[in-house]
Amino acid sequence: MFLRTLQAERMKLHHSPVWLAFLLLPVLPAVMGTFNYLQNIGILQDQWYSLWTQHTLFTCYFFLPAIIGVYCSYLFRLEHLNHNWNAVITAPVPVSYVYLAKLTSASVMVLLTLAWIGILFLISGQLCGLNTPIPPELPKWLLFGAVGGMVICAVQLCLSLVIRSFAVPVGIALIGGVSGLAALAKGYGVWFPYSLLSLGMRANQPGGTMQCSTEQFVLNALFYLAVCITFAVVWLSFRPGNSS
Amino acid sequence: MIKALAMEFQKIRRRKVWAIVAALISVQILLALWGVDRMDAHELSQGWMHFLYQFPILNSIMMPVMAAVVASRLCDIEHKGQTLKLLNTVMPAGRLFAAKFLCGALYMLAAALLQIIAIVMAGLVVGFEGSPPLDKLLYYLLFTTAVNLTILLLQQVLSLLFRNQMIALTVGIIGSFAGLFIMFFPQNLERFFLWGYYGVLMLVGMDWDRATRISDFYYMPVDWTGFSILAVMFCMIYIIGRSLFIRKEM
Repeated sequence: MFLRTLQAERMKLHHSPVWLAFLLLPVLPAVMGTFNYLQNIGILQDQWYSLWTQHTLFTCYFFLPAIIGVYCSYLFRLEHLNHNWNAVITAPVPVSYVYLAKLTSASVMVLLTLAWIGILFLISGQLCGLNTPIPPELPKWLLFGAVGGMVICAVQLCLSLVIRSFAVPVGIALIGGVSGLAALAKGYGVWFPYSLLSLGMRANQPGGTMQCSTEQFVLNALFYLAVCITFAVVWLSFRPGNSS
Repeated sequence: MIKALAMEFQKIRRRKVWAIVAALISVQILLALWGVDRMDAHELSQGWMHFLYQFPILNSIMMPVMAAVVASRLCDIEHKGQTLKLLNTVMPAGRLFAAKFLCGALYMLAAALLQIIAIVMAGLVVGFEGSPPLDKLLYYLLFTTAVNLTILLLQQVLSLLFRNQMIALTVGIIGSFAGLFIMFFPQNLERFFLWGYYGVLMLVGMDWDRATRISDFYYMPVDWTGFSILAVMFCMIYIIGRSLFIRKEM
C-alpha cells in the first residue's frame, strides 16, 4: 500500500521541472566557492577542508533550507488546489501514508542533492589541483547533512500542510535558516531543526569534531522527525476535510 | 488608479501579507543587532558605517526572498480564483499590473523604512559616535528601495505569467544566492546581475587587517552609473513584463 502511495507521489511530480532547481543550486557555490578559494589561497591553507568551507558557506545556512521549502510547498500544491483534499482524505489510504510518502520523496531529493554536492566538491578539488588525499570524512559530512536536510523536510512539510499559501512556508524556511545560524553560533545548534543541516555538514569547522556528540545529533533528528510525523497525522485526521 | 490600488488592498484583507514581511524584517534586524552591545570604542566610532556595510549584505540574503513572497502572495489570488479573465472585462490589464506593483511596493518600502528606524534607534541607544548621518541614510533608503522594487517587479512578472509559483520562488532564491556570492568577487561582475545591485550601490567599504583583526570602514562615492543602469533595467522589465502580461491568455 505504501509503495503505491509513493508511486502516486511520483506520478504527481511527473514532468515537473522541480529537480532542475536542485541540480542548479549546488552548481553556484561549487563554481563561485572554488573561484573564491583560488583567490584567497593565501589565507585558506587547509586544502580540501578550506575548499569545503567555501562550498558550504551560505548554501546550507540560507539557500538549501529555502529551496527545500519550495520543494515541500510544491509537494502539497496539488492537494491545496480545487478541493482536492476531499479526494485525498476519502482515498482508501491511511493518512499517515500521505505524509510519509511526501516525506520520502522529499528525502530522496535531499539525498540526491547532497550526493551531487559531494560530486561537485570532488570535481572542483581535482580542477584546483589539490594534492592531498580526499578527506575521509566526506561521506560522513554528506550523510549527516542529509539527515539534517530530512528534518527540515519534515518541518517544512508540516508548514506546507497547514498553510495553504505556496510562498509563506518558503519565507519561514529562510527565517529558520537565518535563526539556525544564530542558534549555531550560540551553541544550541543541535536543538534547532534548521541548524542540523549545517551542523551535520560541518560547514564552519570541517576538520574538528561536531559541536555535539553523534548520538545527540541522531537522537534530536529522530525526535524532530517523530514530532513532525505525529503532528501531520493528527492534523490530517481532523482538519483538512473541514478546511477545504 | 486609486480605486484599483484600493481593490488590491481589499483582496489581501485578512491574508496577512504584512505578517511574513514583519517576520522576515524582524529576524534580519535582530541578526544585524547581534553583538552591537559589545562594541569597543573603535567600533563605536564607526558604528553608523558598520550598519551601512552590514545591511546591504543581509539585504541580498533576505530581500529577494521577501520580494518573491510578497509578489507571489499578491498574484496567487488571481490564479487560485481564476479571476484574471473576469477582471480583464472590467479594467485594463495594464492597470491591474500597475496596481499590484504599487501594492507590493508599499510593503517593500515599509520594510526599508523599518530598517532605517532600527538603525537610528540602535545607534542612539548604544551610543555611536556622532549624530546619525542623515544624508547617507537617505541614500541607503533610496538605493535599497530601488533594488527591492526592481526585484519585486521581476518577481511579479514571473508570478503573473506562470500559474505555478514554484518557478517565481526558485528564480528568487537562486538569484539571491548568486547575488550574495557575486558580492565577494573582485571584478565588477555584480553590475551584470540584478541581484548584485545591493552590493553595487553600497555606500561603505571595508578594509580588514588580517594581522590585527581590526576592520576599518570608509565611505565610498555614490555609484550613479550603477543607479542609472538599475533604472534602465527597471524600465525594461516594466515595459516587457507588462506587455507580456497583457498579451497572455488570461
